[in-house]
Amino acid sequence: MRRLFVNLVILGFIAGSAFDTITDQEHWPFSQYPMFSGTWTSPTFTWLRLFGVTDDGREFPLDANRYVAPFDQSRLPKALKQMLAKPDREAQIRTALPDLYARYEQLRREERHEGPPLAALRLYELEWTIHPDAANVDTPERRQLIAEVRP
Amino acid sequence: MKRARDAWNRFWFEPGPAAALGICRVLFFGSLLLWQLRHDFSPWGAYSSVFWMPIWLFDTFSVPLLPASTIAAVQMIWKAALFFAAIGLFTRVAMVVAFVLGTYLMGLPHNFGQTQHFDTLVVFICGALAVSRAADAWSVDAWRAARRHPSAWPRPDDGEYTWPIRFVWVAMSMIFCAAGISKLRHSGLEWIFSDNLALLLQRQQYHISDGEPWTNWGIWVAAHPWVARGMAASSVAIETLFPLSLFSRHARRILVPAGLLFLVGIRALMGPTFEQFMLCYVFWIPWRTVLSRTGARVVSVSERRVQVDTRTADAPARPLPLRS
Repeated sequence: MRRLFVNLVILGFIAGSAFDTITDQEHWPFSQYPMFSGTWTSPTFTWLRLFGVTDDGREFPLDANRYVAPFDQSRLPKALKQMLAKPDREAQIRTALPDLYARYEQLRREERHEGPPLAALRLYELEWTIHPDAANVDTPERRQLIAEVRP
Repeated sequence: MKRARDAWNRFWFEPGPAAALGICRVLFFGSLLLWQLRHDFSPWGAYSSVFWMPIWLFDTFSVPLLPASTIAAVQMIWKAALFFAAIGLFTRVAMVVAFVLGTYLMGLPHNFGQTQHFDTLVVFICGALAVSRAADAWSVDAWRAARRHPSAWPRPDDGEYTWPIRFVWVAMSMIFCAAGISKLRHSGLEWIFSDNLALLLQRQQYHISDGEPWTNWGIWVAAHPWVARGMAASSVAIETLFPLSLFSRHARRILVPAGLLFLVGIRALMGPTFEQFMLCYVFWIPWRTVLSRTGARVVSVSERRVQVDTRTADAPARPLPLRS
């Protein structure tokens, strides 16, 4: 009986994994592990990024995970992109940005990052042409303001 | 059919030492606890519902996003369970709790816009260990049981101590292989022979990953197309061929360390945080050999039992009590 149970556990795992691999689907924790499987041919790319605005109007990118934790610089832009793809995109973003602002301030108060207090939070879409040395990381070719929130 | 069944049973249930699995349990849960100790899942519970984009598991079983305070309590219990599972006290309950709560907690972030893949193997291993007999050695439970029933301990070699380790081998092989197949399916050989990896390595320098690359060496690799293509070819080869390590000792000697180096390379050059996946490599270490060579107590308990029985040749061998 015990051996049968163990065999079922093993077979269940193998079947679930094989199913996702063969059908190219994802049912976490099963997955087809598609990360980085596409081919990059374009030297340009766009990315959503939050910027903080200080009292004196200075703008700086929240481009480190410590500003947006527990989100990270991969997951957060993808979440925001999904919101922007929805019909009620404006309402979604208007709800999301205050959350991110509040989280930034909470992390700042807890001294989890060294960023200044914010007067506003902005969401931009940035576009870069990849530089061989990534020398233009702070100077994207294009910046489009998507939304702004003030406390 | 019989040959296939025999081969299956030989692979999964070849008698192995309880100590090997026990050591894996200690190191796996112990290192997972250390890795997760400072990790706080509770902030996820404070986000608005617009961020909640449930993945299949949470959607199908209507698993809710709990309030931050509840998540904080859940993760405290989970970390305690990891600790108990590592030291082997109330191990069965601890491992089941570690699996159930761990699946919830580790799955939680994936409901916020992106499914990442660093922890799937950890979830599967927790599940396998939860139904295994990993506490029969190197655990407080085993020590206490040995004091109560000295004749029954240490446990003889058994297939019960082999299959969880082989499960990890198979799981890791399937994960690597699936990743390789995905690349070939979506990109074909272009993934290797184009500038794909070079562009990818350069792009990762723009603060777009879940973790910053440990180094900026990716820029150097990208500047040397044949190095980048060689790395791309190695990546696909390691991933797709990794299952060979299940069947060939020679392949294992090459592919298992190569797979680890591959993960370290990803972390160093690109950023994605595969540390949890790396922890699972403890299951590849040949603990029987390591213990023998370090002069520790002989792992092959069955041999030891024979010696004991030889010394007391007139006494009949006592049957081992069965454990549920």
